[in-house]
Amino acid sequence: MATYILRRTLQAIPILFGVALVSFAIIQLSPGSPIDRFRTPNVRPETLENLVRLYGLDKPIPEQFVSWITAFVQFWRDDAWGYSLVDGRSVRDTIVDRMPATLLLGGTALLVTIVLAVPIGILAAVRQYSWADKAITTFATIGYAIPSFLLGLYIAYVGTVIFRGAFPSFGMISLTGEGRGTPLDVAWHMVLPVTSLAIQQIAGWSRYVRAKMLEVLNQDYVRTAKAKGLSAAKVTYKHALRNALIPIVTLFGLTLPGLLSGAVITESIFSWPGLGLLGLTAVQNRDYPVVLAFVMVGGFGVVLGNLLADVLYGVVDPRIKY
Amino acid sequence: MTERHTGPLLEIKGIKTHFFTQDGTVKAVDDVTFAIGHGQTLGVVGESGCGKSITSLSVMRLIERPGRIVAGEVLLNGENLLDKSDGEMRDIRGDQVSMIFQEPMTSLNPVFTCGDQIAEAVQQHTAVSRREAWDRSVEMLRIVGIPDAKRRASEHPHQLSGGMRQRVMIAMALSTDPDLLIADEPTTALDVTIQAQILEVMRDLREKNRMAIMLITHDLGVVAEMADEVVVMYAGKVVERADVRTVFGSPHHPYTQGLLLSIPRLDERRERLQVIKGTVPSPLNLPTGCLFKRRCPHRMRVCDVAPPYQELGPNHFSRCWLTPAGEAPSVGPDAEGPEAEQAAEALTVEAR
Amino acid sequence: MVSETNAAEIERRRAEEAEAESAEIDRTPVRTYWQLVRQRFMKHRLAVFGVIVLIVLAAYAIVVPFVTGDDWRQTQLFRDDAPPELFNEDGEFTFAILGYNENGQNLFARLGKATQTSLTIGLAAVVIIVVIGIFIGSIAGYLGGWMDNLLMRFVDIMLSLPALFVILMITAFFGQGNVWVIVLAIGLTGWTTAARLVRAEFLSLRDVDYVQAARALGAPPQRIILRHMLPPAMAPIVVAATLGIADSVVVESALSFLGFGIGGESASLGTMLQNAQNYFFSGPLKVVYPGTVLILIVLSASFLGDGLRDALDPRQRVEK
Repeated sequence: MATYILRRTLQAIPILFGVALVSFAIIQLSPGSPIDRFRTPNVRPETLENLVRLYGLDKPIPEQFVSWITAFVQFWRDDAWGYSLVDGRSVRDTIVDRMPATLLLGGTALLVTIVLAVPIGILAAVRQYSWADKAITTFATIGYAIPSFLLGLYIAYVGTVIFRGAFPSFGMISLTGEGRGTPLDVAWHMVLPVTSLAIQQIAGWSRYVRAKMLEVLNQDYVRTAKAKGLSAAKVTYKHALRNALIPIVTLFGLTLPGLLSGAVITESIFSWPGLGLLGLTAVQNRDYPVVLAFVMVGGFGVVLGNLLADVLYGVVDPRIKY
Repeated sequence: MTERHTGPLLEIKGIKTHFFTQDGTVKAVDDVTFAIGHGQTLGVVGESGCGKSITSLSVMRLIERPGRIVAGEVLLNGENLLDKSDGEMRDIRGDQVSMIFQEPMTSLNPVFTCGDQIAEAVQQHTAVSRREAWDRSVEMLRIVGIPDAKRRASEHPHQLSGGMRQRVMIAMALSTDPDLLIADEPTTALDVTIQAQILEVMRDLREKNRMAIMLITHDLGVVAEMADEVVVMYAGKVVERADVRTVFGSPHHPYTQGLLLSIPRLDERRERLQVIKGTVPSPLNLPTGCLFKRRCPHRMRVCDVAPPYQELGPNHFSRCWLTPAGEAPSVGPDAEGPEAEQAAEALTVEAR
Repeated sequence: MVSETNAAEIERRRAEEAEAESAEIDRTPVRTYWQLVRQRFMKHRLAVFGVIVLIVLAAYAIVVPFVTGDDWRQTQLFRDDAPPELFNEDGEFTFAILGYNENGQNLFARLGKATQTSLTIGLAAVVIIVVIGIFIGSIAGYLGGWMDNLLMRFVDIMLSLPALFVILMITAFFGQGNVWVIVLAIGLTGWTTAARLVRAEFLSLRDVDYVQAARALGAPPQRIILRHMLPPAMAPIVVAATLGIADSVVVESALSFLGFGIGGESASLGTMLQNAQNYFFSGPLKVVYPGTVLILIVLSASFLGDGLRDALDPRQRVEK
């Protein structure tokens, strides 16, 4: 297993390299330059030239890439990821600052999803064709079809208008008042965005769980289990579920990357100060160092998630031997 | 071993199992009757789709939507299984009646070890500790002839070959000492050499435990080797039933005859194998009268009426209009003679 | 008498059945592949529903803007947030079935224009996705070996990028509000699934007898790919394209919603939604209309996609 992980990690490096290459290329190819923001009528040309030299923008592009990426991988250094063109802070610090908010949101949503979607999916599969199954499938299909930003919008609407502000739809903590900053305050602010994220995910997950359970329930070994005289519960939860869990666990691994690249849209709708919102504003402001770092973090998350999914698969399925 | 009840171990009377699908009702098993005595081996023969598997699943009450047992009785030691509650059935399944299936490659759960799966069956039906159940499963593996049983018990099914997996299935089925083993095409998916080994295992255990076997197969060779009595099924009905010698020596029903004739023989010189012309009718489009009539070389006009289930002799039944001697019937539209017409009318009403 | 009737009846039934028998043998009709496909498709009520809805929406997107012309952006005097009406005070026929928005623009017409914009962008993006996907997938699947490896690494890289974000980057950096940039951005990031599908089909088709025969006869690769391998591979492509349309429309709407999409006074489902955010209390329906259209597009496209998948390749039948 250890060798497998090592091998996969080594395979991941060229992919991350490719990600870096592509994002760097996009930025380089786009019109404009990072120093355009400084180009006001009052600034003298020499200053601008100095800036160009300072940022290494006069060097040939491959050289720029190499120097950027060599700095980037030394993530323990404060200046590794550059400084924001907007507020001058170390990009690495900014990202580290904002990550917990995103992880909190995404993590809670994922937890809620698993806790709800797995039983729902199992129920639908075990009682196939019943009204419960039809209701669940309908809900899941519709929920899956609603685009995430639309759902966020509607949830915000429901929270703001229908529940008359019972739940805040803005930010992570209250701006005023006594309880601001406490975990309870944060939790209160999390209700709407988490609901928005979770509904979408639950719709998708429960369909998947249901499909996998149905597949497994039709397998021969389930018939054998019944022929042995095992109770329905044992057949479903011991024999069937254990097998259905294999692809479900890998789905879990594959969903993790979504946590890192942040629910850009959800964070935008609910003004949640996380990585997603950071990336969004960075693109708006042409804050290239932040943009690059964001893409790299996202790419890393995907690679990590895939690796985790594969490892979990190997752990859970005895047929796989690494 | 349960206490012996006088009379046959298993009696199936008039079982009808129908499947209610969107395209129509499929009468997979339509009025099937036979019995198995203690320690006896019954071979159930027929082409794919004739209802033999469904019959066995009906006995185990493992029929699921859209299928349902709509009529009949299944008497195990005199008690009707169809009247039993779910809980009572679960006690019987795997304990008094065990079943093994056709596809050993997929019939075992891939995530549990072989030993665990056998021990599970043991613990379900007997009050023993985990340790004892495990020991029993290792012992069973040894009995069915798996070398290095202790190690194999800790292995997963995918680490075993098809033949070995089938032995594990047999070990699992027999670990609770059942009175009746239902074997649904146990050797069909295996090589011929492995097949011989599996059959030997079954014969051995049958001897030792005085166990009855309901052996479902389409392979007449297996039937000849293993069975005491044979039931031939076609399109959901029993068309002939007799002891094995009679079936092979003097088969009555044209279908049975056709099956036997189509077996290739070494002592004949032939250029073409003899086949039964035509194909099994679609269950949604069954002919009226005798279900075999479209393929029967002896077809008569009377066959448009459902044939009677004749008793040709002691324990020999055939669902056909032909006389025991194999000639056209003395009644019915194909018969000759003055009594023919009156008797035909009577018979027609009856058989319809 | 009685027995005669019985005999006669048996005779009649026998004749009937004999005819049915021979008819049955003659009856097996010869149906073409497409007829079978159509038959299987029609069985899916949801898929048929999806087609109908999509056709209605497409009609809406084509006809209404044509009929109402400039109404979608023409601000009518004194019509701010006015209720629906069919005739205005001059007695002219207006198509203001949904009333007016805060700028006095005909909502119904605006919605039609928005649907048109969104659908057009979605379709255009899907075209790009399919073209690139087929191109890369067929090369990878046909050649195999190192080229396949290389291309699949490339696909892996593309998949590791945070898609929406990259689209944001492209649209923001290369020309915000430019329709073509948006189409290209969506297309250039969305081809990965299509490529994988084509590759999978091609890999399995490589060993098929008729392809081997073509190679043995010396047919050039282009001919083999285009004539022999591509047609059977089209089925999953069609399904992916259908779902891709819905996906692309959603992406475009998300872009516009975030402010990165169509600019200026243009209307798309996304811009309408973004605008509606400000009117939660005063004009809640402004969120409902474009949202409903969007949901309908996604739902009907996914039903259609499911139906097509089953109709074109029943082997792939997944549990419904």
